[in-house]
Amino acid sequence: MTEAEHTNARITCDIGGTFTDVVVSDASGRLTVAKALTEPAHLFGGLHAALQRAAEQLGEPLAALLGRASLFIFSTTQATNAILEGTTARTAFMCTEGFPDILVRREGGSLRPYDYTRPFPDPYVPRRLTFEIPERIEADGGVLRPLDERGAREQLVQVRELGAQAVAVCLLWSTANPVHELALADLIEQELPEVPYSLSHQINPIVREYRRASGTSIDASLKPLMQSHLPEIASGLEAEGFAGELLAASSAGGVVPMSELIDSPLWSVRSGPSLAPVAARTVAGTETGNGDVIVCDTGGTSFDVSLVRDGDLVFTSETWLGEPFAGHLTGLSSVDVRSIGAGGGSIAWVDPGGLLRVGPESARADPGPACYGRGGTRPTVTDAALVLGYVDPDRFLGGAMKLDTAAAERALGELAETLGIGPQQTAHAVLSVANERMIAAIHELTVNEGVDPRDSTLVAGGGAAGLTILPIARELGCREVLVPRAAGVLSAFGGQHSDIVRELSTPHVTNSLDFDFDGVRGALGRLSERLAAFEAELPEGLAGESQRRYFVEARYAHQVWDLSIPLEGEGIEDAAGLERLIESFHDAHERIFAVREPGQKIEMSQWKGRVIASTAKPPLGVAREGAASATTPHRRLAYFPELGEVEIPVHLGEQLAPGAEVDGPALVIEPETTIVVYPGWSAHVSTLGNYKLGLRS
Amino acid sequence: MNSNPAGGASPRELDPTLMAVLAHRFEAIVREMTNTLFRTGRSSILNMARDFSCSIITADDQLFAAAEGLQVHVLGAGLQTSSMSRLHPDLREGDAYLHNDPMLGNTHTADHTILVPVFFGGEHVFTASAKAHQADCGNAEPSTYVTYVEDVYAEGGLVFPCVKVQEDHEDVEDVIRMCRRRIRVPEVWYGDYLAALGAARIGERRLQGVIARYGVETIRAFVTAWLDYSERCMEQAIRKLPARQLRARSRHDPIPGLPEGVEVNVTIDVDPEAGRVSFDLRENPDCIPFGLNVSESCARGGCIIALLNCLEEDIPRNAGSFRRVEVLLREGSIMGGLIEPYSASVATTNVLNRMINAAQSAFCQLGEGEGLAEGAGAMGVGYAVFSGTYGNEDPYVSEMVIGNNGGPASPHCDGWITYAMPDCSKTIYIDSVEMLERTYPLHFRSFRLLADSGGAGRLRGGPASEVIYGPRATPLRVFYLADYARYPAQGVRGGLPGASASASVIDADGSEREVEPVGDSLLAPGQWIRGVEAGGGGYGDPLERDPEAVLRDVLERWVSARAALDVYGVVLSEHGPGGGLAVDLAGTRERRETLAGARAAAGGGGS
Repeated sequence: MTEAEHTNARITCDIGGTFTDVVVSDASGRLTVAKALTEPAHLFGGLHAALQRAAEQLGEPLAALLGRASLFIFSTTQATNAILEGTTARTAFMCTEGFPDILVRREGGSLRPYDYTRPFPDPYVPRRLTFEIPERIEADGGVLRPLDERGAREQLVQVRELGAQAVAVCLLWSTANPVHELALADLIEQELPEVPYSLSHQINPIVREYRRASGTSIDASLKPLMQSHLPEIASGLEAEGFAGELLAASSAGGVVPMSELIDSPLWSVRSGPSLAPVAARTVAGTETGNGDVIVCDTGGTSFDVSLVRDGDLVFTSETWLGEPFAGHLTGLSSVDVRSIGAGGGSIAWVDPGGLLRVGPESARADPGPACYGRGGTRPTVTDAALVLGYVDPDRFLGGAMKLDTAAAERALGELAETLGIGPQQTAHAVLSVANERMIAAIHELTVNEGVDPRDSTLVAGGGAAGLTILPIARELGCREVLVPRAAGVLSAFGGQHSDIVRELSTPHVTNSLDFDFDGVRGALGRLSERLAAFEAELPEGLAGESQRRYFVEARYAHQVWDLSIPLEGEGIEDAAGLERLIESFHDAHERIFAVREPGQKIEMSQWKGRVIASTAKPPLGVAREGAASATTPHRRLAYFPELGEVEIPVHLGEQLAPGAEVDGPALVIEPETTIVVYPGWSAHVSTLGNYKLGLRS
Repeated sequence: MNSNPAGGASPRELDPTLMAVLAHRFEAIVREMTNTLFRTGRSSILNMARDFSCSIITADDQLFAAAEGLQVHVLGAGLQTSSMSRLHPDLREGDAYLHNDPMLGNTHTADHTILVPVFFGGEHVFTASAKAHQADCGNAEPSTYVTYVEDVYAEGGLVFPCVKVQEDHEDVEDVIRMCRRRIRVPEVWYGDYLAALGAARIGERRLQGVIARYGVETIRAFVTAWLDYSERCMEQAIRKLPARQLRARSRHDPIPGLPEGVEVNVTIDVDPEAGRVSFDLRENPDCIPFGLNVSESCARGGCIIALLNCLEEDIPRNAGSFRRVEVLLREGSIMGGLIEPYSASVATTNVLNRMINAAQSAFCQLGEGEGLAEGAGAMGVGYAVFSGTYGNEDPYVSEMVIGNNGGPASPHCDGWITYAMPDCSKTIYIDSVEMLERTYPLHFRSFRLLADSGGAGRLRGGPASEVIYGPRATPLRVFYLADYARYPAQGVRGGLPGASASASVIDADGSEREVEPVGDSLLAPGQWIRGVEAGGGGYGDPLERDPEAVLRDVLERWVSARAALDVYGVVLSEHGPGGGLAVDLAGTRERRETLAGARAAAGGGGS
């Protein structure tokens, strides 16, 4: 037996729209990274190819690699893509009679008040598949109108005749009393025994009918797809020799047993990007010890930004699929990942007023930027980077694709003529404007929430990560920038370091002036029991230490949007504890909203508990292998506004030993990304092979 | 200037990169102010419907940045800060001003505006403004829009002609006490005041940050360059239009005491050569002894809304682009010439919406592909100001934003669904039924969008809604003011009008009676009120609508099969793929010829 076969492996994968990434770690902390093209119709195909490549790199048969893997963590963008491309199941929506247009209207609003060229966006479920159920529950949970079973059955017959493949049920006030949703579930099982369904009070028990209905409809529409994909992955892996535990990423920033995602696939939406901050937290925690991290993941068409605050992921209840107001809200409290249309493929243009604009239109993969030589003629961010000399045309994607510098220059040339400045100045302006959109996205996530980016570590991931992260850092005032060795596969790498996370909530209404200590104790006690039950169901030996955190959703009287305030320990024991909770609410309100209202009643209605069960993770303390061959770097021309065109060294990442210092201006080329070390900055290769960038003192 | 704006001077005077960078930064500040007010507001009109807006104005009173906020609110914001500087020559850092005076540039009394002068190095550089529609403003009746009032004395609301409400970042307690004494549900008012103040203070912090980062001189250069750039964008858009004088009129429905309604006139001069547009609003009636008079701020804002609706999008909305738009007003006129003691309580909606509609549909006279139909603008039962007491006698009052007026059809697409009304331009949010039921002691029987309510046309108007609600255990008072019940939103270029608004009360025994659409009702437990808002007008001849689009409309229940046949001339057969409906092309051709023939015989034309 070889040494490798003795070693327990942990495998993570992220199946994206274009690439399937695989990361394998073993007990020594050694990382193996492999990529293959995704096969959308047959997800296991692309995954198998990527796994095969990883096994080849490790010099062992795939069966051996899978055989020694105790844990396989899976994430995918399939759910997100299916929604954006409209390829989810034909879903029926059942609502309370009299309220059929909840999904049509959403919550109103528009980003473009004067645009009368775009039609109103379609609802997630068309009106022709919307069914009104004769029943009504009141706000206090009372039954105003009992469920008319015969009427409901008649509707279900129509659902069957229309060929619906899934059913979403969202009745008004099912959160206060689920009796009608449950009764309807029985009827669905009788009338449509093969059709999967989702009940809103189970999927996401929140008040506000649109967001609950939207999440429930998304969930139901994904069930047929995910219920075929996920078992396919499971059986494929098993057939190849995998016998360990199979977990899947959720948008809660952790992993859950794959069966949970099959039951509630809504959680798989945006699950891949929510692992990026997990990766960043791990790397930043080890390399800098800073718990405040800004995470940027720059791909070809989108830029995702997320946060780690005090070592914790940051959550939101406002995740839109597609553009705000026009897309669809998941309604879940999930990791706050903001996505804007800015990346290597974003197209630069000049508007009629003479202002340079970049994006949101993208050249995508086809035809791609002009320099791809596939027929694209409009200038993109990647073209600008090439014209500036920031990309080596012979080493793009590890040399897999040659770039056409002349085509990039032609595309930029027209823009330069319109603007009346030189081509390199134009290219620099394109990058700067693209950066500004990213900076604005980061600002919204940080300063809006009272976070000062200057105190944070910036972690960059994604293929285009290294091109402009330093100017972004300079503008934000971040002094510490990290480009992890696994920057190109940040989400799959995040899977290596994720824990099992489950969040549950329970309603209990009280307030600061008349606090119900016993009631809250009871509510938290019930939450605690449910969390314990979840922990007990985890496969034995999978989770190590398990940790619980509790929160209360609180607001001033008459407000309707809550702030999530962490509780100390397991609850509120006495008046002093309550006083501290009240103070931390006032403080949070003032930090985020600039005002506080001392003495005002604080209402508390929802109590949340989160269990974080840690999984055995690969150690980070291993030196990068194969380094330290000190060949002389080759040189190329690059343009920086403060220096003009200068000759700079080009380092290959694999040849840089731990401890190496690279002073800017210089390029460092990694297989999946290029780091531009700007003048005045320097890059330090850590013992773990990550790049720490900072201003040269 | 030549026709290539990029050849113009300013982007080159200021580094083009920095210009784009700072433009984004100011937008982000306004968004952050907006988020603050939305998440901290106490009444449903703010924290659900978002009937407020934030903006940044320069020290010399030029509207500089205004994000997604309610359009009629922000477009005239410069008028308000000019009164601040005039009345308070001793402005100081730490000050905040409460301004709701329509005679001094505010929209109407119900919109409380908090103005915070932003200082840097001892110098007033910008003003951060947060304007929010109040749940109550102390009017004689519990409604923030009162129609049947002779003058401001009868209107009765507290007016603050730009009054200092904070000094050294501390409340001026005298003013706070006045409001608490005279505004219904004072605790909610104070919370809403804090929300607006917080938004303005957030704006102040961030503006000071950005000035510190770039230096006041750079920021000033940017302000000049950005306003110039915005002006060029507007100029370029206007240059593409044909030279014409456009005249249009509309008429507000009759109401008790105004049997003829209110006629509204607008004359628009489009001068592409000069790159200018002028709106002449002087030919309008004198102020009337009703709350329907339109303040200057609203009239000016309304013209900008109508113009922007008809131009290509993405023109920055600030004093720079507005330089290209002239608005002519006449003192003493109902349309922007407000004089004492007339009331402008309803200035933001009814008569103003008529003017915006007249102006935007006038642009259709420029030819095919130009202008818009009329959008629906009923402030009916779905937008009522409602009040009463909870079971424990505590009072409540707010405005509901749940109704649906259909948007105008454009040359490009069907009317927007969640349009709200012309002055909002799609930006207002809508209430959640569950949140309203949780917050107030009322309940809803139904809310639905109505088939055949959008005006037919080659492009169809947006649909109207019907909403039915009533009190639970305690009586409920509702004020509504639905225009578009008699004169619906008109279609253009052969398009048909949208459906009309109405209001009725349903008694406990199920009997129903129509009520005056501009009025109020006191509902006892067991009673319900039913309100239908209005549909948007259509664009172009319905007989030219793509038959497949009509089929989709029938399948999606926007159009009935009857109307498909009678109005659109589309014959559907039940032999489509999978046994569904399909267009019978031959039958449709024949049907359309027949309908067109009948129309010609009747002497009517498509347009």
